Amino acid sequence: MRWAISEVPFVKRLLLGRWLHWSITAVTLAVFVVVILTGIFGTPAGNHNFGIVYVWLVWWALLKIVLIPFLGRFWCSVCPIPAPGEWLQRRAMIQPRPGGRLYTLGRKWPKFLRNIWAQNFGFLAVALFSALILTSPLVTGLVLLAFILVSLVTSLVFERRTFCRYLCPIGGFVGVYSQMAPVAVRIKDPAVCAGHKEKTCYIGSDAGYGCPYFNVPSKMVDNTYCSMCGECLRTCPKDNIAFYVRQPGADLLHTKGRRLDEAFNGLMMLGAAFVYSVVLIGPYGWLKATARAVGTPGWFVYAGVLLIFNAVAVPGLFWLCVRLGQALSRKPAARTGAGGARTPGRRDSLFADYAAILVPLGLAIWVAFTLSFTLINLSYAWPALSDPFGWGWNLFGTAQMAWTPYVSGLIPYLQVPLLLAGLVGAIALALRTARQHGQPAWSAVPVSLFCLAAVVGLLTLYLA
Amino acid sequence: MKRNLFAVMTVLLVLIGLPAGLFGYQAWRTGQLAWAAGVRVVDIVARSPEQGGFAPDHLVLKAGEPVRLRISSADVVHGLNIPGLGVDVKEILPGRVVEVDIKPEKPGRYAFACTRWCSIDHWRMRGVIEVKADAAHPAAQETQTAPLYQKLGVNLDAVWPMDGPRPAQTPSAERAAAASGGLPESLLDPSQRVATAPADAFRQLRADPAHSQLGDGEIWDQVAWAWLHDVKPETLSMAGSLYSRDCAACHGPQGKGDGPAGRNLPGMQKMDATGDGASPPAGPADFTDPARMLNASDVVLQGKILRGGMGTRMPEFGSLYTDDELWAMVQYIRTFLFQPAGK
Repeated sequence: MRWAISEVPFVKRLLLGRWLHWSITAVTLAVFVVVILTGIFGTPAGNHNFGIVYVWLVWWALLKIVLIPFLGRFWCSVCPIPAPGEWLQRRAMIQPRPGGRLYTLGRKWPKFLRNIWAQNFGFLAVALFSALILTSPLVTGLVLLAFILVSLVTSLVFERRTFCRYLCPIGGFVGVYSQMAPVAVRIKDPAVCAGHKEKTCYIGSDAGYGCPYFNVPSKMVDNTYCSMCGECLRTCPKDNIAFYVRQPGADLLHTKGRRLDEAFNGLMMLGAAFVYSVVLIGPYGWLKATARAVGTPGWFVYAGVLLIFNAVAVPGLFWLCVRLGQALSRKPAARTGAGGARTPGRRDSLFADYAAILVPLGLAIWVAFTLSFTLINLSYAWPALSDPFGWGWNLFGTAQMAWTPYVSGLIPYLQVPLLLAGLVGAIALALRTARQHGQPAWSAVPVSLFCLAAVVGLLTLYLA
Repeated sequence: MKRNLFAVMTVLLVLIGLPAGLFGYQAWRTGQLAWAAGVRVVDIVARSPEQGGFAPDHLVLKAGEPVRLRISSADVVHGLNIPGLGVDVKEILPGRVVEVDIKPEKPGRYAFACTRWCSIDHWRMRGVIEVKADAAHPAAQETQTAPLYQKLGVNLDAVWPMDGPRPAQTPSAERAAAASGGLPESLLDPSQRVATAPADAFRQLRADPAHSQLGDGEIWDQVAWAWLHDVKPETLSMAGSLYSRDCAACHGPQGKGDGPAGRNLPGMQKMDATGDGASPPAGPADFTDPARMLNASDVVLQGKILRGGMGTRMPEFGSLYTDDELWAMVQYIRTFLFQPAGK
């Protein structure tokens, strides 16, 4: 069940043109410039610094609560970090070069890194310093500046958006959770694609560039690596690609052939939501201070615990649940490999297939976590807008607006249904996974209990 | 190509024009403010002492020059007190800017200090404004006199005996007020009493046959009355505010020497109140301790507040307090042991 919204003439014109994405990117780039400047030169007081407030409060809330759930990976197509590199790579901003030519050294990204493992470990590496990054404008400014420089160099050396596809620590989870989005770019008729040998959607044409994310649209079955930048819509001479509105989470209905790196991302993000909930918004001031004291013995202990919890304990526990469910089914492991072909004996594949149930749950958890501090602190956005550097400006007359929590009493009433909806989605998906793998329904019980425990644990923390 | 050119120009505007605009606005604003107000603008950034304290912590101004101080905090809440210029900013919130206009007419050195307990080393957060003389504002003749303890030759660091008489109950000026009378002028006149310790006053009265019918407790009440009979409630109130702001963190709100900032001060280990090496003090002075307070004269207490030091990291307040404030503080800390009239 899907509706090709790009068939509406106005929408089509908007998507085929380049001004929409470029305009939004120009705005996000301007905000990004202010973020870096205020981070480096502005007040070190995070709650009065534009960089901290507009990145870790406003942007993060927009990303988690609005963009990912409703527009999937669209943010990536207007993200300011890869924009300068991409513009240099294309030597154009609006009108593409003939044939969609790119000006890079043309190096190929190493094969063993063509996955999101680097993004997963990049996220974990950032997570180790997150208590510092999230509160220090200078560190935030420098980290974002480093991102933009790495992205720039990557764009000039490698093809397309290699940084976004394989390196960006944010892009990994944004891609995985974008499978929940009610929108998607897909082909209309596979037969048309089969008959079109030139594959301009991948290699580019005078009308546009080959897919910046290395996708072949005809093979795309989920949103994970699609930023909806619209290049394939522009380069398809057959008008066989559309922007669809569809059932949320439709990508998750195929429960076979899931990838281990994406599974790990879901588990890691679940663990990270727990750690952040305890460290950043929990009642343990000493823990937050330890997490911020980078380089101290206490911080090394914190870092070790975080890494073990996220990379070993949570995935290990989930793996045990999958194995237990498998044992309950009393059937030999008969899994599927990439491409959907059944591959008997590959237990890791079953693990990866089941891990997809953490996508709806994980997204719900992250939205609930984000709500917990967004509504409380959003009022910092007004003074930071008028006085971005904390230099005593009052550009819009809001510099002296006092901190006021917005509808804080409503937060639990939003969090509880969200987490329960995520749990229901996860259990329903677990049951579907069991069924599609030929297992009895109660094989899904251990992983469902795992999800239940996660929800109960978080609710205890949020409602305490 | 026109479309690309427009896009490139827009992006260049964002990458170059926006930063230039932001910094240019700040430069213009600072200059414009100074021009509009006809003042020189000086930015002072406050950081906890471990991070550098006030920056700058030494300002040189011209006498009669109007100056706008733009004070901000880079970390926690600070305060700023410049007693000599009548500036008392009670709260400098992180990320906010407080503007204060000053116009120092009198050449000299004006100390300033943080007034909020911003860190364990808060007491180190000081600075000085040096106001230079010119033809219109000549330097005043040096009128500063030596502190009283120096004039009287009192050694603040000497170990004084602590084994004098002690009251069995809290001496009360209130109780003594009704029956007061017959006290020698040397105790009633503050200028004559200043070098006398309460324990010596007790001995003097006890030895006086005129008070032979009084018990020891009543004599102690007379001593309390002698010390506090001329203190005004507003003086105690003012001194109480200063005590809460500057002293309570180490000496405790009740003067018991148990304030959280006074624990484990490195300097305390070097102290030996008894001189026998047996019992170094556990913390800052306990103003409720009869042995310590009854054997100390007012000039000793005033001198210690004024000069600080003593190897205990006690800060000096001579540059921040007026003479009246110093003596008011002495009277206030006496009330930890002597109950004033009206209480």
